[in-house]
Amino acid sequence: MAPFTRCLLPAAVLLTLGLSAAADQLPPQLTYRTLPTQPFDAVRTADEAEKPAVQQRQRALLEERYDLSDRPTPNVMMSAGRKPVQGGVRVKLPRGATWESLAQMSPDDIRRSNLFPAAFLPLPHVKQATGGQVFPNNQIDEIAKQESRNLRRFDVDFDLPDRFTPEFPPPIFLSSHPELGDVSRGQLLTIKNYYALMIGLITPVQMEGLRLLLTPFPQEEFNQTEDRKSADQSLGVTCLDCHSNFSTNGAFHQTPDVRPQAARFRLDTVSLRGLFNQQIHGSKRSLRSVEDFSEFEQRTAYFNGDQMSAQRKGVNLPERHDQTAMMAQMQNIIDFPPAPKLDPLDRLDPSQATAEELTGERVFMGKGQCAACHVPVTAFMDNNLHDLKLDRFYPLGATVNGLVILPEGPIKTFTLRGIKDTPPYLHDGRLLTLADCLEFFNLVLGLKLTQDEKNDLVAYMLTL
Amino acid sequence: MTRILAVCGVAALATAAPALAQQAGLGNPATTPAGTSEGGRGIPAAREPNDTDRIFTREVLIGGRAEVMFGKLAGERAHATAVKQFAERMVQDHTRSGDDLLNLAQAANLPVPEGLDRDHRMIRDELDKLNGAAFDDAYIHSQITDHQQTVQLLEFEIGSGQDPAVKQFAVQALPVVMRHLQIAQFLAAEREGVASRINPERDGNALR
Repeated sequence: MAPFTRCLLPAAVLLTLGLSAAADQLPPQLTYRTLPTQPFDAVRTADEAEKPAVQQRQRALLEERYDLSDRPTPNVMMSAGRKPVQGGVRVKLPRGATWESLAQMSPDDIRRSNLFPAAFLPLPHVKQATGGQVFPNNQIDEIAKQESRNLRRFDVDFDLPDRFTPEFPPPIFLSSHPELGDVSRGQLLTIKNYYALMIGLITPVQMEGLRLLLTPFPQEEFNQTEDRKSADQSLGVTCLDCHSNFSTNGAFHQTPDVRPQAARFRLDTVSLRGLFNQQIHGSKRSLRSVEDFSEFEQRTAYFNGDQMSAQRKGVNLPERHDQTAMMAQMQNIIDFPPAPKLDPLDRLDPSQATAEELTGERVFMGKGQCAACHVPVTAFMDNNLHDLKLDRFYPLGATVNGLVILPEGPIKTFTLRGIKDTPPYLHDGRLLTLADCLEFFNLVLGLKLTQDEKNDLVAYMLTL
Repeated sequence: MTRILAVCGVAALATAAPALAQQAGLGNPATTPAGTSEGGRGIPAAREPNDTDRIFTREVLIGGRAEVMFGKLAGERAHATAVKQFAERMVQDHTRSGDDLLNLAQAANLPVPEGLDRDHRMIRDELDKLNGAAFDDAYIHSQITDHQQTVQLLEFEIGSGQDPAVKQFAVQALPVVMRHLQIAQFLAAEREGVASRINPERDGNALR
């Protein structure tokens, strides 16, 4: 090829690319929220009529994917002793497959044979097209009782059975008062009781931060406009409506970081315990401080990452130099639940742990490769995002209950401290038990763990 | 050079099949146009399109028409065998899916656009001027952009469309278009000698 021609080629390519890329081909609704086209009453009537079919569709998906039966692990309760930890593998296998047979297959083979367990795929929101925050009934009932504030939606209900969500209300452990243990008195922190519960235990700035974290502000589905999903004009939601007692109640939402709507994967509320050791925040956004995060949640959890919608429904931007700082002061004194078998470096104390737990820790640090990301001494995190490249196992672009199954890209490593307290697991809650998590990572990381090793790992994780 | 076969892309749909009809009807009533008649409790009747259905159908009918046109052009002009084979596949797949969507549009009384839009006319004019390897590069790169946009349009329809048949069309088309995009990206990477690449056609099931 003549040098002259070679020079011309890239220019021709660029020209073509430039022409097509400069055009406004795609409709704005792909990025921005659409306003309702009908009066509130008409939307509500249609939503309520459609609701049984919506719930039935989700229930069918859950039953197809999981064994939802009540099988608690004997003698293993969550940290406040209110709820047993469910045990066993709940993910249903594809017909003809066993966990052992799958573990012997390559990702390519599993994809070609369509043998990736459906429960390992992203879990759709109960109503993908509408999305938004959905609270469990225990939270809805308690907030109605204490504050007469309505967190119930008329279009959807919470989808997972109660046995697979955290105990309610969760206990509260303060890093500033380890000697006191759980200071929640078995109550859910609300704007009504926070002062009475916390006076004497926390500082003035922490108290003010707590007040802000418990103050309702308008949110996408809970506000005073016609674009809402509560029957009444709502006062809004608070930070701790999802992060109950600074842990989680399993309330879910969709990622604010992806568009269009059909591609927004589900997010299970993360616990705020141990936030003092967390360097990055948000499953995908990697915000660098909890101050940044507390400020920006008013754009994201509250308004789906759509600042125009926030402006219309009533925006609350906590003052940066003062308010978010105080909110952060409060969040940063929330400790993990006690783990009496761990030593100061967060390794098992051999004089306290069982043989099974110690073997589990060895697998965790070695063959299981868990500690590559969940590093014990940094609170079982690595402050990084990783891409598990799950899309090696499935073809792209299938639609499940309105959610388009795509690669999810890098997601933040979550802590494993107190992990028994906060099912369901993974960023979207697709895994119901710790045993499910082990089968998931055994397959995704190609670990080829034995059944004994899996059992020991579960025993170990229950000590964290 | 990797073999890129002109094949029926529908084979890739096998995994997306269950419960499609059930899924398609449920939507977001907030964006349902006033006066829409109901087919079930709260669910719009069949052939009751909304604006998303209209925008989607227009864009995808034009896009598909352009795919067939450019694919035929590439069949004559493309230099590399792999690009020619890819183009043949585009002509086949987009002819069939274009016919399907046209039928759905007519059934639902959706407006059917004529010819190409400005963007695709510009691409056509550019491709018309090129030959040999330059044509191949420009064609493949315009295919990548076009399929990227089509993926977004299909997700738009899946998320916000209303006519169950049009939505189901989008659900079925998305895995195929995604596969087209992966192949186009692979072809470009191979042509440009990108260091690390995996042939998306390594899956047997897409080749039959």
